[in-house]
Amino acid sequence: MYVSAKVATEKCIGCKICLSTCPEPNVFVYIKEEKKVQINEGRCKGCGLCVTVCPKQALSIGS
Amino acid sequence: MNKGLVKISPCFEDVMPQEYKELVEKGSYGQDYGVADLGSFKELIEEHPLCAGCGLALSMRLILASLPNPESTIIVGSTGCSALAFSQVALHNIHSLFGNQNAVATGLKRALKLRFPDEIKDVVVIAGDGATADIGLDMVMQSWFRRENITTIMLDNEAYANTGGQESGMTAEKAVLNMAPKGKNFPKVNLADVAQVAGCAYVATCNPAKSRVLEKAVKRAILAAREIGPTYVQIYAPCPTNYKLKPDEVLATVKNREKEGTYPTGEFISAKAQELFESLEGGSK
Ligand SMILES: Cc1ncc(C[n+]2csc(CCOP(=O)(O)OP(=O)(O)O)c2C)c(N)n1
Ligand code: SF4
Ligand code: SF4
Ligand code: SF4
Ligand SMILES: [Mg+2]
Repeated sequence: MYVSAKVATEKCIGCKICLSTCPEPNVFVYIKEEKKVQINEGRCKGCGLCVTVCPKQALSIGS
Repeated sequence: MNKGLVKISPCFEDVMPQEYKELVEKGSYGQDYGVADLGSFKELIEEHPLCAGCGLALSMRLILASLPNPESTIIVGSTGCSALAFSQVALHNIHSLFGNQNAVATGLKRALKLRFPDEIKDVVVIAGDGATADIGLDMVMQSWFRRENITTIMLDNEAYANTGGQESGMTAEKAVLNMAPKGKNFPKVNLADVAQVAGCAYVATCNPAKSRVLEKAVKRAILAAREIGPTYVQIYAPCPTNYKLKPDEVLATVKNREKEGTYPTGEFISAKAQELFESLEGGSK
């Protein structure tokens, strides 16, 4: 089973904190126009570090 | 790396890998990107084989986003977990024999000064705690005594992680590891203080939980090494695998250690470095 971080877009406020806490490169993409992040799931290792820092509980690990 | 070198020759666009094309189109060469821009540009590091939640992998990502001039940076690495990631990094890098990294960097920097006297060439050593504080300590110290213009960055996971968890000089006293079952019986080496008395113009200890502090330390260290002399940055980058942490506990571990005072962050700025930072940063940062 592949696990990956998922973002609940409606909760994301685009604070970008998750972007500098992920050990994997180019997983998070910041969408400037929407002020939100997207996740490139194929690059995520499911460690959960980003989940621990998101101030809006917008991130979770799922499959 | 000259910016022109990464450009794709006409009619080869179709056959180049997607990751390479992204590097050319949205990479950080010649751009003024930093940690705040992560997620908006193609990073220098690609998918790597380091473990999930690795503090060292996160620190490398942040270091690479903090380089003042990536296109003019040459990394000298050493054996250890970080070496496994460097083959996925789009910078010139040399993997030296374990422990020799500062000797190799010294020679390289001296040669580059002669060959390209008017160009920026930042030589940055990035190596583990075992490579820096134990096996390579002789070469590290000699490069400091001799006031070489290089930056030394230690990725301190407080263990020989790549070989299954032996204690290093940087392991905390009493810490138990796979191959240190009785616990370490002498205190953690204070290499930051050693660096200061050995001649470093700038010394910082930091961690990836404070990414902007890390960024500032890396930038300052590289700029001071360019103009003044040796600099040292020590990054606390825990290894979840050898310390039996859950992969999502690395940042909490870093924050706890800072809170309890067993791994403080801080800076030593020599008078010359202070002068330099004031002129470069205009007193703003
Ligand atoms: C000359 C030499 N001695 C020993 C080794 C075995 N060795 C490979 S990695 C390593 C440990 C590296 O520890 P550290 O520098 O802390 O890096 P880490 O893996 O923890 O990131 C050792 C002892 C080697 N490759 N070469
Ligand atoms: S930390 Fe949370 S709220 Fe902030 S950008 Fe990331 S997902 Fe959005
Ligand atoms: S779970 Fe880990 S690898 Fe995946 S996005 Fe979050 S921090 Fe990155
Ligand atoms: S063993 Fe530790 S330091 Fe090495 S890649 Fe895994 S988590 Fe990172
Ligand atoms: Mg180590």
